[in-house]
Amino acid sequence: MKMMLTLFALIFTFQSHALSLDFCNDKLGGLPIQQGGRIKPLYVHANETVKYMTGKSKVDGHSAIEAYCLLSFDSMGVENKVEWIASIQHYDLRKFLELGDKKETTFENLLKNKTELITEWRKQKEETSYKKALDQALRRLQLYEEIKNGANWKLYDKSGPAEAWLVLPEFLKEDKVLKAKENTSNPFEAVLFQSEKDYIADHGSKFKLELTFAKLRLPVWALFLSLLGLAGLVLTKGNAVPLGFAFTTVAVQTTYITMRVMISGRAPITNMYETVLFSGYAALLLALIVGHFKKDRQFIYVGLAYNFLSIMMINFSGGMLSGSISPLVPVLRDNFWLSTHVTAIIISYGALALSWILANTALIKAKTKGISKQEMIEYTDQIYTCLKYGIVLLAGGIILGGVWADYSWGRFWGWDPKETWSLIVLCLYMAILHGKYTSWISPARFIPLNALAFLSVMMAWFGVNYILASGLHSYGFSEGGAIFLGSFFLIQFIILGITTKSFLDQFDIKRSSDQIQENPA
Amino acid sequence: MLSEKQFSKFERTVGGLKFAVVLILIFSAMMIVGTFFESWYGTDFANRVVYKKFPFMAVQALMFFSIIFAAFLRLPPKKRLYGFYTIHAGLVIIGCGSLITYIAGVDGNIMLHPNEPAREIILPDDELRITYPNEGRQFSRDLPYTAFKTSLDEKFEDLTFADFYPYSENKVIWKKSSSSFESWQSVQSSEYMISNPNVSQDFIMSLHPEATDYKSSTQMGPLAVHYLPASMSECFGNADKTGIVFWESRSKYCKTPTDYGSEIKTTKAGNRFLVIRENERLLTFFPDLSPWPLDSSLTPVQDTTLRIFNRKLFEKSPNLFLFGKKAAYFTEDKWTAVELGKDPVELPWMGFELTLLRHEDEKFPSQEPFYVTPIQSKGSLIKGNQKALKVKVRDKEYWVTDDKPISLLIDGKKVNIGITKKVLTLPFEFVLKNFKMDKDPGTNNPASYESFVTLFTSSGPSSHHIYMNNPLKYSGFTFYQASYTPNKDGSYSSTLSANVDQGRPIKYFGSLLLVLGSIWHYVITRKRKKSEATASMTNKKEALA
Repeated sequence: MKMMLTLFALIFTFQSHALSLDFCNDKLGGLPIQQGGRIKPLYVHANETVKYMTGKSKVDGHSAIEAYCLLSFDSMGVENKVEWIASIQHYDLRKFLELGDKKETTFENLLKNKTELITEWRKQKEETSYKKALDQALRRLQLYEEIKNGANWKLYDKSGPAEAWLVLPEFLKEDKVLKAKENTSNPFEAVLFQSEKDYIADHGSKFKLELTFAKLRLPVWALFLSLLGLAGLVLTKGNAVPLGFAFTTVAVQTTYITMRVMISGRAPITNMYETVLFSGYAALLLALIVGHFKKDRQFIYVGLAYNFLSIMMINFSGGMLSGSISPLVPVLRDNFWLSTHVTAIIISYGALALSWILANTALIKAKTKGISKQEMIEYTDQIYTCLKYGIVLLAGGIILGGVWADYSWGRFWGWDPKETWSLIVLCLYMAILHGKYTSWISPARFIPLNALAFLSVMMAWFGVNYILASGLHSYGFSEGGAIFLGSFFLIQFIILGITTKSFLDQFDIKRSSDQIQENPA
Repeated sequence: MLSEKQFSKFERTVGGLKFAVVLILIFSAMMIVGTFFESWYGTDFANRVVYKKFPFMAVQALMFFSIIFAAFLRLPPKKRLYGFYTIHAGLVIIGCGSLITYIAGVDGNIMLHPNEPAREIILPDDELRITYPNEGRQFSRDLPYTAFKTSLDEKFEDLTFADFYPYSENKVIWKKSSSSFESWQSVQSSEYMISNPNVSQDFIMSLHPEATDYKSSTQMGPLAVHYLPASMSECFGNADKTGIVFWESRSKYCKTPTDYGSEIKTTKAGNRFLVIRENERLLTFFPDLSPWPLDSSLTPVQDTTLRIFNRKLFEKSPNLFLFGKKAAYFTEDKWTAVELGKDPVELPWMGFELTLLRHEDEKFPSQEPFYVTPIQSKGSLIKGNQKALKVKVRDKEYWVTDDKPISLLIDGKKVNIGITKKVLTLPFEFVLKNFKMDKDPGTNNPASYESFVTLFTSSGPSSHHIYMNNPLKYSGFTFYQASYTPNKDGSYSSTLSANVDQGRPIKYFGSLLLVLGSIWHYVITRKRKKSEATASMTNKKEALA
């Protein structure tokens, strides 16, 4: 370390123009680094890290790569004045850090208070939101320190007897930099680029696909296109414009998902981010196919609307859904049954989501604009169509899940929360379908019940990971999900509370006993 | 007996749609409760309260009959109901397969240590095992499958089994001695708290012979803590160049060699020693090596009340001596003695402070189980992770836990009592030859783990490779790579889950029927809808199909 400081001193003293530290620039984006068990371009890691640490895409006016690189070079004695800002939302934590009304502070300030923060964290015996806030702040601080020590990323090194991945202070050896200095005025940049060249020479440039993938920002495009499709539905009478946007959205999402599969080397359904993305995509495709055969414009609407919501989630959910591609736990690897089982379940959730959107649309439209009985019956039929796909796929998915569990653990069914909740979803929808044949569930009641039943899907999908968070499937756990789910439930109850009574008053005419036929035979 | 009319009514009710809807809703509600119980109190608790209890099983049985009757009601077969029959047949077959698995299946774990033969599958059920080792007799008894405290109230030979706690935690109880001690005998116990701004730890130390749960010395990181009789506190006050201290436990005095009038000699090898005459025998002490003496035949002597030790031995590394209400430590070239009480006393290491929370001269501390509702966090129990059973022998009571079996002498007969997992012995044997773990590059996260095993069967040994998603099937058993445990020597032990499922093909066949039936049902409905639409049928009839 001392040697390195001397080296820096030497270089900077004799070449004062090199003091600009311009090796930390966006050109480093394509540098292959080893981080979190994977090889990826620095661009991807720096952006993900900055987003995680600060919630923003830039740090103090610097791009993520510049800021990340400069902070890493702090370990080499290169000073920088970039201020990394941590957002501190919890009131008690702000009070503890004496921030006054400010909801943020610098990571350097947190670093100064590290011991106090750890002590405060230890003092919290109960699992409160304050402890969680402390825990979060400390985890981010730990990452900040790791970057500052140059230990957060590893670079490809071929100078030794064998190829190796080394952390920055080990990678930037004196002789390497001095040698580079003979040919260039920016030896650090040259050394870093050499690492990229060496890696590409040995292992190819496939990793750069992730750079393109990240830079294309396809989810943003898909969001924009879905929105345009929805606007097309409202503003134009024909199907050409909305269908055009719908197909372009599908094309963009297909590209995005394909690239993701190529980068991760696995089916795109292994974490919450991917399941949300995939369900929106699959539901849109399903809606377009069903709409084509039924010749029903409503399916274009419902497919685009659900897809729009799901892309909204992956774009704006922040820490709840992480788009970061990371290695899987062993049991999820190389598994045909896992892929088919999750795919079936996620498409089924997508189909059930379509029925949910239709149900809410019918309820809200009836309350605001009013709908005719014929329209209500049409809604019931459309919902029923979506349910059919949802239920068959869900039943199939649950069985495939059993096959997977049997194949991986040796038991078909174990009352694990995730599998139990998927069975609860199936049971509740089956109760609705069976009830539909009795006097209990008239076509009018069928609609609000479907809006309500979707809450079980949300519980199975998000609730198990964010609220129950136990059992074999807890690998999907992340934060903020409980608030999201709570809000979702609340909004749905409010919609039902406002609309259901008038809806039932209008349509739920008591059927006479001669119309009731319990027996489909 | 039911009349035909009554049976028909029964059949219509049980096979009816409303009955099915009610059952499905009850079943769902029970499952919802089950998942929340699982999340809060753990998998085992949810099983003991919901999933493996009679009401839940009964609802499933009723659903089973409802499905059968629903199909019976719709006989003779109608073409448009073929999908419906197939779905219901599939469900019934899955039910039968699950029942077979429930009754006859095996689901356990086998732990393989490197190069050690293993043939025992540990099953999830607990049992009470009573062994008379000298007579070679062994008995076992199932423990109640309950989530709450219960009384067994059952006699077995000289033993009475009383309270059983499926989930318990130990609490400290201060008990009176069952036997009396003479005044010179030190049987004190103390509870202390050691803390600094970062950590705080309560600990209890005891010299009482009945305090089997507590020790008189412990190690806290680099700090060695010794709990000694109160009278020994004197030995750390007076200074002497030699560092050698005499302590007589009966008369409770501490003396230097000069006070005692004894001469320190040195062996040829340079070891200091003292020879003391006690009654008729000569005791040789090597205070630099041990406080206990050797007799003339050089065997250690335990029945003396005199100890001689070298205090200087405790000056090199951090040592804390506790004498109940007093403490002593060596720092900055001198021994410091302090009085302990409710106010914390500063220690010379890392800002630690010591507080005396409780001191008893006669009562002794004992760990006693109490029933608690278990609490699960991040997939494992953080509270209540102990099963406990109270065993009475005549007028005495003992607690047996799954961590701590007990060993008793009843009328000279030795008996061991323990709560253990049930075990299934395999007719063949495993040896773990090698365990391989790959990690994600640059991290410590396992990417895969694999066991290389040799199976010894009646037809000779064979080698197998078991890894995630590649189980070993042999003689009806399937062995899956489940987990691993690192050993102290750097090697790994591997855990395989071992499984027998006779219902497997039946469940698979039922599942296939269910999925095909569902598709068939919707295809038929669709076709009928189309033909009905062309025939301008009413919507109502369609919905009923």
